[in-house]
Amino acid sequence: MIFIKKKTGIEKKKARWGFIFTIPAIIFFSVFSFYPIINAFITSFYKKDLLSLSKPKFIGLGNYKYLIHSESFWNSVKATTIFTVGTFIPLVIISLILAVFISSRKRFQKFFQMSYYSPALLSSVVAATIWLLMFDPRGLANQFLNFILNTPGKDYKWLTSSGMLRLATIIVYFWKYIGYFTVIFVTGIASIPQSINEAARIDGANRWQVFSRITLPLIKPTTLLVSVMAMTQCLKTFSTQYLFTQSGAPLKPIDVITLNIYNTAIRDHQIGRASAMSIILFVIIMVLTLIQFRVSKAEEVQY
Amino acid sequence: MPKQKSYFFSTVADILIWIFLTVFAIIVLVPLVFMFTASFMPAKDIMSIPYPWIPKTFYIKNYWQALRGNDGSFIYVRNILNSFLVASVTSIGTILLCSITGYGLAKFQYKGRNFILMMILSTMMIPFEAIMIPLYLIVTNLGWQDTYWALIVPFLMSAFGVFLMRQFLLTFPDELIDAARIDGASEIGIFFRVVLPNSVPPMATLAILTFRSQWDSLLWPLLVIQSPKMKTIPLYIVQFAEEKFTNEGALMAAAVIASIPMLILFLSLTKYFIGGSNVYTGGKE
Repeated sequence: MIFIKKKTGIEKKKARWGFIFTIPAIIFFSVFSFYPIINAFITSFYKKDLLSLSKPKFIGLGNYKYLIHSESFWNSVKATTIFTVGTFIPLVIISLILAVFISSRKRFQKFFQMSYYSPALLSSVVAATIWLLMFDPRGLANQFLNFILNTPGKDYKWLTSSGMLRLATIIVYFWKYIGYFTVIFVTGIASIPQSINEAARIDGANRWQVFSRITLPLIKPTTLLVSVMAMTQCLKTFSTQYLFTQSGAPLKPIDVITLNIYNTAIRDHQIGRASAMSIILFVIIMVLTLIQFRVSKAEEVQY
Repeated sequence: MPKQKSYFFSTVADILIWIFLTVFAIIVLVPLVFMFTASFMPAKDIMSIPYPWIPKTFYIKNYWQALRGNDGSFIYVRNILNSFLVASVTSIGTILLCSITGYGLAKFQYKGRNFILMMILSTMMIPFEAIMIPLYLIVTNLGWQDTYWALIVPFLMSAFGVFLMRQFLLTFPDELIDAARIDGASEIGIFFRVVLPNSVPPMATLAILTFRSQWDSLLWPLLVIQSPKMKTIPLYIVQFAEEKFTNEGALMAAAVIASIPMLILFLSLTKYFIGGSNVYTGGKE
């Protein structure tokens, strides 16, 4: 009896400590995650100025209604969509191809992985700065295109024409993250047991068949996961667009949603409108993250 | 005969794959080589056509100008130290707080534990970009504008870090913890003397993830930092790029300086960098 009583006492004490250890986290996430998102949600129903001291005015769905009719908002939706689709699809496809090729090599696997990964080490601002100089009218980007397309002396207006400017931001992002996703795919492919490949080869399957019938189906979960991750990251892009517009590039073609939120809140002081946009961004990313969770659970493939 | 043919094709395919991988590697490395070579060239060489690639002279003046700044204040040095301080303190705080929480969630039984875990994990769905305005208002109300507090405190924990540490600690041997308990160690003592020293790999991964994201951060410092002496490296580079007297060579020198610490970290801890990108997918190293 005494022994049992004592044991429950210890268990109780243990349980208390377990809870105590999570208290910092409860406080932290309440203050820096839950409160702000609830606050953004509430503020999105108010007309609120950053600097004005007068009480914010409740306007219901006013901010959302404003956004639906706002040309600037739809322009941002368009810019963000073009950037996201234009970046994540090539990112996923080419990193997959690179990973399959690297995995098929017996030598230099590490070397290629590290080379492709190296741009990911630079901070976004540094990456954007390098490309800013390369996209200069006299820069390497023009020299390269003129060499390949045999158009000596032509200026492709990388930072001034809207189509090229969009392409320029896509290139910067693609360049920075291609190695990151290649490495993830290489790991995914490496976790496929060698015996499956060998069995297929013995049965007479050629390289293409091994890829399309074995590798591709088995890394499908990784592919889905990488797609969602790449997409959410692209939706949140900011640094390249910010630096380019600060250096004189036109804002409109690359006014992505994050940049618009920043400008609406900090330059125009329209906190209510910025919050409404934040909530829209939050809902989109929440849906994508839920998909990511589902996928990572389904990912546990049994070989 | 058919066997020979397929051998021929596979050799050709092999060579093409080598060429593709090599050409792609060159294309990826060109901008890095450009940054490095341009940092040793005077502006007129950088913008000459065609680009010279090999600096004619080692134009060290660029580095001097990058460090000195256009106004001679050497503020970049201070900004570099700021970046180091902010990234290091955040990383240390994150590994401590996330592992103690992960420990509490992995090794103890109590009511509400799963609820707490779900609540923490659900914050992964909240993108920073969606809450930056309310966060900015909180920080302003606390009077933290233009301070290290603003740069550090909101990033002291991450749901992903808690998840990572919890997953690791689930497989932590109970015998070690119980043995310490029988020896009369306090619960806090067990955490610091038994759990922490045996959790180095996930902590290193988490520390590097945190360090990199703080080193890279632009949007948040842009909101909360105004004075030049409190700026971090990305803020300084943005400003340096805008200034009229900055020449291209000095800009690239500033970029090289900003990249060297990460390069050193990468070369000495490659495993954890690569591991860091794979923990998201649950891939094994």
